[in-house]
Amino acid sequence: MAEPSGEFQHDYTCQEVVALASEYIDGTMTAEQMTAFELHLNFCDGCSSFVDQVRTTMATAQRLSTDEIPGEMKAKLLTAFKDWHS
Amino acid sequence: MVSGSVGGVAGTAEESELVGRLREGDERAFEEAVDALYPAMFAVARGYVRVRSVAEEVVQDGWVAILDGLERFEGRSSLRTWVLQIVANIARDRGAREGRSLPFSALEVSEEEPLVEPERFLRRGEPFPGGWKVFPTDWRTLPESRVLARETRDVVDAAITSLPDSQRLVMMLRDVVGCRAEEVSEALGITAANERVLLHRARVRVRAELERYFDG
Repeated sequence: MAEPSGEFQHDYTCQEVVALASEYIDGTMTAEQMTAFELHLNFCDGCSSFVDQVRTTMATAQRLSTDEIPGEMKAKLLTAFKDWHS
Repeated sequence: MVSGSVGGVAGTAEESELVGRLREGDERAFEEAVDALYPAMFAVARGYVRVRSVAEEVVQDGWVAILDGLERFEGRSSLRTWVLQIVANIARDRGAREGRSLPFSALEVSEEEPLVEPERFLRRGEPFPGGWKVFPTDWRTLPESRVLARETRDVVDAAITSLPDSQRLVMMLRDVVGCRAEEVSEALGITAANERVLLHRARVRVRAELERYFDG
């Protein structure tokens, strides 16, 4: 728990920031962790770049095209669906 | 739109409406659901079965099982989670028959594998132990055209393809297909913590390939 003074129990090292980057990006951290994490980012250009690099990686992955259903399979499935309902 | 409701949250009105339309035999709803669910279903099948044509058969068998079970679907999980669980079960059986079972064991979630080469950080005894020796480069200064280029996508695509199986599957589902965390962990039968570790390791590995590419 953080002290009421507002001091953080945890000052993250860069190596720890690297380990926690996805938790930060995905919003799965506690509020206390997030405050300490952002405090580190504000003062550390290296980690700020690293987190941005992970975000860029994710954004590029999102732009990859996904597999589309082959037409033949779709036709078969539609027939199966009609049979199923009838 | 159906594609919005298949990725929806369990028990929402959109999802129950879609399930209702499917039960009534609405072909348009079925067609849209088949299209919308395919990327995630195929990614799951491909996670357990290496041969593309066999993975396609798994998806097809998955739909037969989904239609069989649709009357019993209660909406306790989201439709997509339920569908992916069915596909994962079929794919796991096929994978086992192929003599291949996906190790979601501790092996691939090993803490011993460093995320970033330890030599990039300062050691104990040096000033700022655990700090970067040399900062990673700032990609925000790269021209946008370079970041968005086809070649950049190809680097990421190849890097994801060469990930260890379980990391590839989780990253495909989360970052490429866009499934939610709980959908993936429930569908694959792994803990939320394991899923987070697999995803983070995958992203960091792919980032390293991109770093090699951008920084030359």
